[in-house]
Amino acid sequence: MTNPSLTKQEVGFRLKSCPEYGQASFAGIVTIALAVVLLLNSYQTATGTFKSGVLAVSVAYFVFALLQLAVWRLIRRDLVRAGEIKGSTRALGYVLMLSLLTANVFVATAAFQLVKRKKNAAYTLAVYALLTTVLVFAVTAFNLYKPYVANGFLPGMFLLIATAVLQLIALILTALFADRTVLPGWMAVVAGVLILTAATGNLFALFLGLLLIARLRDKGITSGSKLGDVVERLSRSSTSMLGLLFITFLLTLAITSLMTFDYSFAIDNNYSAILQSPSLTYPLGTDNFGRDLFSRIVFGARISLLVGLLSTLIPVLIGGALGAISGYYGRQTDNIIMRALDVLYAIPGILLAIAIIAAFGASTVNLILALSVGAIPTYARTMRANVMMVSTLEYVQAARAFGASDFSILFKHIVPNSVAPMIVKSSLTIGTAVISTSSLSFLGLGVEPHIPEWGNILKLGSAYLETHAFTAIYPGLAIIALVLSFNFLGDGLRDALDPKLD
Amino acid sequence: MKNKGKIAAVLLLSLSIMLSGCKVTTKNEVSEVPAPTEGTETAADNSAVDIELLGMSANEADLNIVRDQLSKNGFNVKLNIQADYGTFKAQQDAGNYDIALSSWTTVTGNPDYAVRSLFKTGGDYSILADSEIDALIDEAAAQTPEQFKETYKKFEEQLVFEKAYIAPLYNSLKAQAFNQEVLNKDSVRISKSRSLPWEELDFNDTSKRASEALVLQSTMPTLTSLDPIKGNDGSINIINTNMYVRLVNLTDDDKITSEGSLSLNHAIAEGNSEYYFILRDDINFAQIKDKLAVDTGERVGADDVIFSLNRAKDKNSVPDHRTYTLHEHIQNVELVTDVATLESIKVSGSSETVKAALEKGLDSKISSLVADKTQADNAGGKYQVVKLTTTTPFPQVLNYLAHQSAGIVSKKQVEAINTYDVATFDVNKDIPYGDQNTVTEGSQYNNTLYTSGPYILSYKNDYEAIFYKNPGYMKGTEHEPRINNIKIRFIKDADSSLSALRSGEIHLYYGVSETKYDVVKGDSKLALQTIPSNAVSYLLFNTKNRPVAESADLRKAVLYSINQDEILAYYAGNKFKATSTLSPLVQTGLELKADSAKVKEFLNAYKASK
Repeated sequence: MTNPSLTKQEVGFRLKSCPEYGQASFAGIVTIALAVVLLLNSYQTATGTFKSGVLAVSVAYFVFALLQLAVWRLIRRDLVRAGEIKGSTRALGYVLMLSLLTANVFVATAAFQLVKRKKNAAYTLAVYALLTTVLVFAVTAFNLYKPYVANGFLPGMFLLIATAVLQLIALILTALFADRTVLPGWMAVVAGVLILTAATGNLFALFLGLLLIARLRDKGITSGSKLGDVVERLSRSSTSMLGLLFITFLLTLAITSLMTFDYSFAIDNNYSAILQSPSLTYPLGTDNFGRDLFSRIVFGARISLLVGLLSTLIPVLIGGALGAISGYYGRQTDNIIMRALDVLYAIPGILLAIAIIAAFGASTVNLILALSVGAIPTYARTMRANVMMVSTLEYVQAARAFGASDFSILFKHIVPNSVAPMIVKSSLTIGTAVISTSSLSFLGLGVEPHIPEWGNILKLGSAYLETHAFTAIYPGLAIIALVLSFNFLGDGLRDALDPKLD
Repeated sequence: MKNKGKIAAVLLLSLSIMLSGCKVTTKNEVSEVPAPTEGTETAADNSAVDIELLGMSANEADLNIVRDQLSKNGFNVKLNIQADYGTFKAQQDAGNYDIALSSWTTVTGNPDYAVRSLFKTGGDYSILADSEIDALIDEAAAQTPEQFKETYKKFEEQLVFEKAYIAPLYNSLKAQAFNQEVLNKDSVRISKSRSLPWEELDFNDTSKRASEALVLQSTMPTLTSLDPIKGNDGSINIINTNMYVRLVNLTDDDKITSEGSLSLNHAIAEGNSEYYFILRDDINFAQIKDKLAVDTGERVGADDVIFSLNRAKDKNSVPDHRTYTLHEHIQNVELVTDVATLESIKVSGSSETVKAALEKGLDSKISSLVADKTQADNAGGKYQVVKLTTTTPFPQVLNYLAHQSAGIVSKKQVEAINTYDVATFDVNKDIPYGDQNTVTEGSQYNNTLYTSGPYILSYKNDYEAIFYKNPGYMKGTEHEPRINNIKIRFIKDADSSLSALRSGEIHLYYGVSETKYDVVKGDSKLALQTIPSNAVSYLLFNTKNRPVAESADLRKAVLYSINQDEILAYYAGNKFKATSTLSPLVQTGLELKADSAKVKEFLNAYKASK
């Protein structure tokens, strides 16, 4: 607009091809929305006053939202005028990084992307790895306001700090050296340490470590590993990275909570603290038995993730194997397996789950089995279709001509080239599994009612929706966020694994 | 340098944690305080004792509180939660429990009923067999209120504290909410034991009595039986109470009264074994024709009373008789035709004659007693009087007569319908009087009900039941039903029922849960009524094939784990402490106090005995 020599299309192209521009507007808008939500929450209709704590956070969000939008204007101006973002604008990213102190991951991730001119997958992963650890640390730190903390709290927190420091060093090193075609040899140590820190459940650290090792082994000979490509493409999609961030955050929290959270707050009734509103001691309030919702949701993540992952993994393995065999051998084998699975397919999944639980009793193991069995046929069908397509390709025929056994052809050549759709499908069905778990618990058919499981928490809370809404809103948000995250991730994975986009 | 912000953030956080780390209290430090007492020799065996708790999902909150209290006291609780009463009962009958969360409501308002069928050997719902308990129950039954207080105290000491057959939890409030924009607030009664009397209900706008239907709610569309003696449960108690009139009624605070009943007055004769009732002449049976209520013209009289009470006490009068134990004290019911006998007998504890007691407040004195009910004419001094004799002196029999199972049915009609032979009754062929299928819409519909009460059921389906007022019920008196048409909507879920009440779909909702009081109070068009009820919740111990059946120590360990203060706190004070099912009826002064030291003691004794 200021440069009349540019056509509208050219401006549009410049803006579209610059990821920082999109990220900045997304982060700014989301932050404004969050700030408004917080502001509304801080207002107490009964007294007509504002809660000072929530109000302060809301103001901080507004400040960062305005800053972010100002930066967005600057980026736009730079792009229109010069076609690229100026160094001074990028430097503003450091200011925006401070938003991490308000737990604003949207602005923070945009800021990390902004400060680095030449981005690569390693840098993005390093940023997200560190972000995850810092967030987990901050959330865990709320336990300090409790009357007492778990026995492993202090060692756990120090381990988290150590992890954060190591990941910060890794971030600096990847920022400095990962751009080179050939990585220096000592990067192997960094990769090793990162994989070690992945023991907290930090998937980003794990992927980064693997990526670095792959690049070290490659020594710059080829254009890049397949994993590198996938991570590279995935990291370009900010929604799927945010999804993965939330999943990794929950996973890390679920694992570190073994040391840092005390189970008694989640399960022991405390009749002196019934239905308390959110406060520092009880960050998300307490339920009708005086149990801390914050602790319950954290421990609930364990069950939701465990059931979600296992009840997806089991049908992937069983359904995948059956589908692969039936697609490879065809004829009677195919007919027998697929017709048997068709019978199973004809039974509604959730009804089958209810029947299994009604017959064998409600427990976590039965819940996983009940949800798994119903999902086998769809995976088998997906796998069968892929295997049928891949097995006609030239390299399979070549392997056959060399006299390779059926087993090695199937599992060395065909299956590895047919798993991409399975991964996408499973990432989408984990979300469904999480919802099914919660639905069954909500119906009283899942785990025992006092066990902190999101569906259970939501069920208790739903009775107080009118009088103490927070008891239902927080577990509901947790379920929504996790399912949404898996869906975003699945979406990103589909794009990243799609060979047509190569 | 680009990470200065990050470093600063991490440093700040780590600094804060390190600083606060100095004063962070860990769980071990908190639990160290009572450690010295644990360090003594009693800490030999700290393994948790397995215990299975059975309950219904409707009582999930109670189950959770009990689970929590037991696990804090060294038990490892296994929950067995069943979806409804049917599956719960099946589990209970199969003996798949150590403790079952049970509840009991003394609908007759007398203490004998609160213990007899529950704890006496061979009682309807009893799993106990203890001669000491039996003796105390029988002893108290023959005593006056002043005397039985002490006996029931001994009984509670035995039942709860000595032998720990039950562990009491709480006594509940009875609560109902109604739409005060539609219903006249003064017409809605709430009574401790008695079901809601429909005939008194009235609209604010009395012009709507004939045109508008009043909508009530119930959870169970399957009605056990509309024959009053063949059912005693939540599906029919309110319905049968309003379809059949009784000899006496209970007041809101459980006193016996003739007000609004078939008798004008009643009297207890010397010796507490003979009871006299003088009957009204202004109630006719109603029946359904073309789905509308009509007056049969047949009067409710002494022959119907004698017939109804005799079949109520006789186990073999109908197949599947559910209420004969309530009436087992009735020895004989007969008609009195000689006025002189009334004059010769004195009222118990007074010098007044029975005749004078029966005449009290009547416009015309007794001039003659008639045997034929059609001859009775109260205005002309012609009355019918019924005399009831009990097997032993038993004043509490009047409470049982106020129960819905003592409702008066038509001798003529019931004998005309129940033509089958009781011994060879075939459920697939024979259709007994009051069978719910005969009032359910569909091919089997054939409404043969003859009701003596203020209302009659026209028909029902799974969605609703339609009632009409009995056109021949106490016409022109204050007890004549006000509203012509009453509907009961069947809504299973409590939250849905409350929503229906708030949206105006139903007008009165009986059984609002404690956690919803705030919601009702917050709605200006609703009114909430509460009254202490006779409902008590308790834990019942299994008496067969389980460790709790043999070991009183184990039972007492469970008993002293129960903390009623915590239960009251959970229900925000809307429950009361209880010691046994007698608590709402007899103040024995006993109270259960939680004591974890005793729990430990009894648990160790149990472990040592193993």
